[in-house]
Amino acid sequence: MAERVFITGMGMVTAIGDNVAGNLQRLRQQESGLGFTDYIDTIYKQVLPVGEVKLDNTTLFRMAGIPVQDGFSRTTLLGLVAMREALQQAGIQHLQDEPTGFINASTVGGMCDTEKVYFDLINPEKSGTFIESIHTLDCADCTQRIADTVGFTEHMATISTACSSSANALMFGARMIKAGMYQRMVCGGTEALTRFTLNGFNSLKNVDKQFCRPFDQQRTGLNLGEGAAYLVLESESFAKANNSTILAEFTGYCNANEAFHPTSPSPEGDGAYAAMKNALAMSGRTLEEVQYINVHGTATLNNDISEGRALERMFGTAIPPFSSTKPFTGHTLAAAGAIEAIYAVLAIRNGIIFPNLNFSERMEELQIAPATELQEEVVINNVISNSFGFGGNNASLVISKYEG
Amino acid sequence: MKVKCYIQGMAAISPQQTFDGDISTAPFVHSESNRLVCVEPDYKPYIPANSLRRMTRVLRMGLATALKCLSVSGVSTPGPIVTGTGKGSLQDTEKFIKEIEQYKETALNPTPFIQSTYNSVNGLIALQQNGTDYNNTFVHRGFSFENALVDSMMLLQEGASHTLTGSFEEMTPEHYYIKSRIGQWREAPVGNTHLFDANLPGTISGEGSAFFVLAAAPTQESKAAVTGIKLLYKPASERLSAVLQELGADADLVISGANGDSNYAHYYQLLNTVLPKPTIPFKHLCGEYDTAGSFALWLAASLLHAGNIPAEWFPMVKELPADFKKVVIYNHFFGEQHTVMVVEKV
Repeated sequence: MAERVFITGMGMVTAIGDNVAGNLQRLRQQESGLGFTDYIDTIYKQVLPVGEVKLDNTTLFRMAGIPVQDGFSRTTLLGLVAMREALQQAGIQHLQDEPTGFINASTVGGMCDTEKVYFDLINPEKSGTFIESIHTLDCADCTQRIADTVGFTEHMATISTACSSSANALMFGARMIKAGMYQRMVCGGTEALTRFTLNGFNSLKNVDKQFCRPFDQQRTGLNLGEGAAYLVLESESFAKANNSTILAEFTGYCNANEAFHPTSPSPEGDGAYAAMKNALAMSGRTLEEVQYINVHGTATLNNDISEGRALERMFGTAIPPFSSTKPFTGHTLAAAGAIEAIYAVLAIRNGIIFPNLNFSERMEELQIAPATELQEEVVINNVISNSFGFGGNNASLVISKYEG
Repeated sequence: MKVKCYIQGMAAISPQQTFDGDISTAPFVHSESNRLVCVEPDYKPYIPANSLRRMTRVLRMGLATALKCLSVSGVSTPGPIVTGTGKGSLQDTEKFIKEIEQYKETALNPTPFIQSTYNSVNGLIALQQNGTDYNNTFVHRGFSFENALVDSMMLLQEGASHTLTGSFEEMTPEHYYIKSRIGQWREAPVGNTHLFDANLPGTISGEGSAFFVLAAAPTQESKAAVTGIKLLYKPASERLSAVLQELGADADLVISGANGDSNYAHYYQLLNTVLPKPTIPFKHLCGEYDTAGSFALWLAASLLHAGNIPAEWFPMVKELPADFKKVVIYNHFFGEQHTVMVVEKV
């Protein structure tokens, strides 16, 4: 029988905090991280709000514990900050002590830096240190720089399935543990804001000029965000032998494709429904045992109808509290699945249901509405976390309280 | 993980005539350029004209290869779709970067942005074949396709009846220029036939798409079996030697990723020392690219299935083995991601 998989370390940086504790504090204070950008060179600087990490790159270099140098993109730096915390929290001083795989996720790699020098890169007349950023063009660059800095040498992969990327990274890592290939994996994703993605989503008319309003009748789109998050996954036998602090159990997951449209979900939420249903079935938990759902909830017109319909199909009106935390962080694309997986662990360990900010009016298509108040001292044993992406890629994770 | 799966069908678009041709009879495509370009098929039998118009080059290549692979494999649904690509649609990425600049961030057409997303080919395959199963895309340079293969083998072990596993990669003139700035390519035109003649820095670039239907159990239709895979990140030579020995000791044919680049030739010299066996190269056929390993797997399975090696494709090899049942493939991507695959006759 395949091993159970435990979460034994977590690290993150988002618009609402430089570490896990900072994120929890801001979630409790119900304080959003959305605002205008300081760092992206765009005509939408004062127009489109984003969830930007307010630290400049010099500060990120310091927090990452490395000297300022060329070739380290903001994507890499955000990843390193989160990675350092995850390893520290898991009590890992030397990665070599136990073979440990690293599964990273990224949607556009180091585009945040590439786009600033791209026209120099293609211009034979130009030369200079910008050449150092040639490699940041691809998604593996951040993965390998993070790996080389902290000492990963074993199995390595970067996954890119748009907005579900890091949920798929967690799934892949857990499956490698269950397949007996590794006892320990570190999985997650990193994403920096770019002019490329901001204009991409804006060209799809998916970006709200106000703070995003998931599951609200008046919602008009998402706000992009940036951040990084990594979770340390360990097999049950290793975690016990190693005396690891077990934060939660990763009990279920499913990746299902919708095969409906390149960028839009189906109106009935077929992919979301299949992903949630199969993930819950794998966890062995019943519908009644789910106390909280951290929804994908991007606040785009289509996502929220589709995901809402899937929730109704699954739970009817007896739905547990659900909320989108994207009004806190913005939509962090490849990092979102891992960031929200950590929020799921925080919900379980602290008995908190995070409010869905900016909600005022229930969607006319739905009978259900998100939790709008912060709820504390709630018994939460199982959380479903959703991440859905372009290409019909739907991923759901079930994270459960560790019961021994 | 149990490392054994069967190739039930496959298809490849490459700089050789691999899509419509037969490996035993197709002529070797010679190129004078250091950028090998795919021989693209007529896409109309695979992709409806209205979709084809919107799709850029690597999307067409990836989708058509996947669809042909499914049709020759005789499976009714694709099952899980797992792919690897190092660079995704470069053409769309370049176009969107430029349009942002050109149109000053206003009134942009979202199509290049959508198509630049690395998993867009997966989405198209799923959409056209109603593939509602697992769907994943790996984007890690020389580990992209091999991670897709590892993922597929895990899926088969977890109970999937078959998977659709593949790769897609393109090289654009602009990206070729960018990578020339760090010396990835030969400075003077070398021509693929003479790639191995001189020991010089740099290689020739390539591109292609290869897809496989993989199954856990063999059938009459099985083309070959994949019986070993190992991914090594920046390995020390001792580690690499040990793995080559472990996986390749009883192989009777070696397929080497040698690409004529003197900067990294020492790894392939190590291969020849550790496994002194009949060896054939493949980069003169497809060029160097992130997912060239998928072409090597296609080649290994094709040769095993055909039972012989077409001499015309390997003019630089003096003596080709007549009989071989177990093939070991060793490849690395600019010295960083090293991969070993074992492919056997069924």
